[in-house]
Amino acid sequence: MEHQTSFALSQSENELKPGNTLAWLIWALSAAVATLLIRNPLYLAVIALGAWLVYLAVGQGQSVAHSWTGLIKLGAVVWLLAIPFNALMLHQGTHILFRLPGNWPLVGGAITLEAVLYGVVSGFALWTLLLVFVGFNVAVDASQLLRLMPPFLYQAGVVTSIAVTFMPQMLSSATEIREAQQVRGHRFRGWRDFLPLVVPLLTTSFERAIQLAESMESRGFGGQLAEMSARQSNGVRLTMLLGLALLLGGLLVRSFWASISWLGVLLMICAALMLLCAFYWFGRRVRRSHYRRARWRRADTAIVVVSLLVLATTLLVRAANRLSLAYYPFPPYSLVPEFNPWIGATLVLLSLPGLLSLLRGGEL
Amino acid sequence: MITFEHVTYAYPGAQRPVLSDLNLTIVDGELVLVVGNSGAGKSTLLRCLNGLVPHFYGGTISGTIHVQGLDPVRAQPREMSTVVGFVFQDPEAQFVVDTVEAELAFAMENHALPQATMRKRIEEVLDQLSIAHLRDRRINTLSGGEKQRVAIASVLTLEPKVLVLDEPTSQLDPQAAEEVLSALQKLNADLGLTIILSEHRLERVVQYAERLIYLPGEGRPPIEGAPQEVLSQIDLVPPLVRLGKQLDWEPLPLTIKDARRRAAELTLRPAPAEASHAALKQAPVDILVEDLWHAYDGHVALKGINITVHQGESVAVMGRNGSGKTTLLKQLVGLLHPRRGAVHIRGMDTRRVPLEQIISLVGYVPQNPNALLFADTVREELAFTRRSHGLTDEGRDPLLAPLGLTEHAERYPRDLSVGERQRVSLAAILAAEPEIILLDEPTRGIDYAQKQALMRTLRAEQHKGHTVILSTHDVELAAASVDRVIILGDGEVVVDGNVREVMTHSMVFSSQINKLLRDDAYLTVEDVLRSLA
Repeated sequence: MEHQTSFALSQSENELKPGNTLAWLIWALSAAVATLLIRNPLYLAVIALGAWLVYLAVGQGQSVAHSWTGLIKLGAVVWLLAIPFNALMLHQGTHILFRLPGNWPLVGGAITLEAVLYGVVSGFALWTLLLVFVGFNVAVDASQLLRLMPPFLYQAGVVTSIAVTFMPQMLSSATEIREAQQVRGHRFRGWRDFLPLVVPLLTTSFERAIQLAESMESRGFGGQLAEMSARQSNGVRLTMLLGLALLLGGLLVRSFWASISWLGVLLMICAALMLLCAFYWFGRRVRRSHYRRARWRRADTAIVVVSLLVLATTLLVRAANRLSLAYYPFPPYSLVPEFNPWIGATLVLLSLPGLLSLLRGGEL
Repeated sequence: MITFEHVTYAYPGAQRPVLSDLNLTIVDGELVLVVGNSGAGKSTLLRCLNGLVPHFYGGTISGTIHVQGLDPVRAQPREMSTVVGFVFQDPEAQFVVDTVEAELAFAMENHALPQATMRKRIEEVLDQLSIAHLRDRRINTLSGGEKQRVAIASVLTLEPKVLVLDEPTSQLDPQAAEEVLSALQKLNADLGLTIILSEHRLERVVQYAERLIYLPGEGRPPIEGAPQEVLSQIDLVPPLVRLGKQLDWEPLPLTIKDARRRAAELTLRPAPAEASHAALKQAPVDILVEDLWHAYDGHVALKGINITVHQGESVAVMGRNGSGKTTLLKQLVGLLHPRRGAVHIRGMDTRRVPLEQIISLVGYVPQNPNALLFADTVREELAFTRRSHGLTDEGRDPLLAPLGLTEHAERYPRDLSVGERQRVSLAAILAAEPEIILLDEPTRGIDYAQKQALMRTLRAEQHKGHTVILSTHDVELAAASVDRVIILGDGEVVVDGNVREVMTHSMVFSSQINKLLRDDAYLTVEDVLRSLA
């Protein structure tokens, strides 16, 4: 019985991932933009806690979630490495911890508390971004994401999603090959010793790609395109050509005639609209249907509303005063970060999906 | 109706065609089994049916093929997909999305079918294949048999008239294979679907087939006809049919039931006593596994395993997919370390000695031979292993002949067939002269002749006093080549005993001959023939 307790099985991960993919996409976008614009460690901590809660709550019982722990640990290692790197490279600040000999190249000089704190915050921002990415991945399937692709990008989307799922398979093959060669006595002595690992990995991946391509081809993948009249076809081509020409013109105007750069922007906006129209027309040719439309629930509305609120608040606060979201420990600024409770309270909203999921046992 | 008229096909750069002047007719609603040695052209023939050959592979083709009125040489595979459903050997490699329902919808979405039609068809195939309970499951959580049934369902949603399967059970355990084959039989009977499949393990499928097509390879014409008729003319036969041929039974039995009446007429003398398995237990202990536990990713793969293997024993580790067989072998070679308990190899605790010390005694042939092969020639593969173990390059060529690899010695290993690659990987491991040999699923995708070669090699190793442990689903291999069977179930040892006792008391892990005679004296055809002599 003791054994069974210590090796308790995790819950089955049979269930599908919760929530609407579009809602999660907006949540991830909002959290990522906030993380990129914020350097204040207190606000970052609020975002990180929110993302961590999402990871724990949504990922409960999923072995997929367990597999992300390695990346989270790796991110933590990168974070820790950022601290000595900053401390050794930046020598500004008044709170000197100790000094390295001045004749040591690059690293010589004062090691300051400010530089250490700057390293801590920079690494923390990266790690927070990673947590947001992991939370999003635990909450959303690649195949669900694929369904959001516009028709003209569908095939590129399938290829991308396969590439994404291919990566874990390739890593698993790499482990299998390394183990097989290891027990065969293979040791690293020089560059040639990579061959027993690289050659099987490449050939195995290639063979798997061929098998998957065969399977997809055999099930009708690769385009059911509706017929287009010559006139429509020429119209799409002309629109694309004009769009590209306007884009080029806009870039040239922006680069060489600074006084009329507004005209360049205008041309580029026109170009973007024309290209979008062309892609839309082209996308309508792709004959493809969708089996299931993703469900939209009240929880999804709540996630979108709070995510947009966080995004708007972050952008407005940043536009009003860049320093209000920043943290710069070097003089003349304070070592202690400021904290505006209203901003903090707004960022707390990012943990709403996690809280909802926690309350409903992993479901939204 | 499917017709092949004077079809000749050669892969790009091949010196001779793999199919030569082939003429065939398959009538609607037939269940046809395509058999032949590795490299005889079975997969090529099947791929001609939906146009993957020549559209996907290139090469040169002549003659005419008609499948339900379409010409797959002119039509693209995607056009053929509404007529021919194709299921591949490896269930893992054919899935595009990650949930069952989405996978079933994939082909229909590609054909832009209306949502209402898709829903109706998905419900139908879920019921036809009895997988409605799997609808919301992630594909990576399914068992091998479930995956293969989902793969079949995913092509049936387009309502093809013909279903083609390339060795659909080669990677499955006996129970999972039975699930898949029963499903196919039901589809054939209920829907009138034409089913064409290839398979190496004839003992699993031959009773389901209405007609056999034997491809002899090397451009010779196929032998086709009723299963008994074709099997009487070829050597590639399952044990039961081999016994029938040896004893001149007419008609040849395809099932245990067919053979039972004839077997009752046999007068068998008590078999001569064999060297007792118990005698081996006096030999020194090679492997001692004590209360071994192992878990990964939250899944407990091994739960308190206790095993003792003596020098010179040959042991088959059997059990369903995912029962912990591969994990156990990896523990024995030191690739994994016990989370609890201990593994001792000739007294060495695998947690305390470096891997180099273990692999000087233990050789491990992985399930996938492609994980090993990288050199330019077969000979170089063997030389690499010897150099890695600090041995001289010379003297290993004798390994090539018994494994039937002499003529391939200078060939690029990756160009060989699956069975040949399997044997090259075995030779590459044996080149280090290990005293304990571990093999993980050594007969996947290999034909009877290659299996015989493998069995001879394993027996030769045993005669040298070496210990052999193999993990396998292949009950015929186990019956013919081991002394002892360990059956794992959900990470625990369910049965551990003499092969004859275990097989005689098992409904699933038992050879055809033993199922027929239900006597621990008879596991193989040779056992019966010896008793008759």
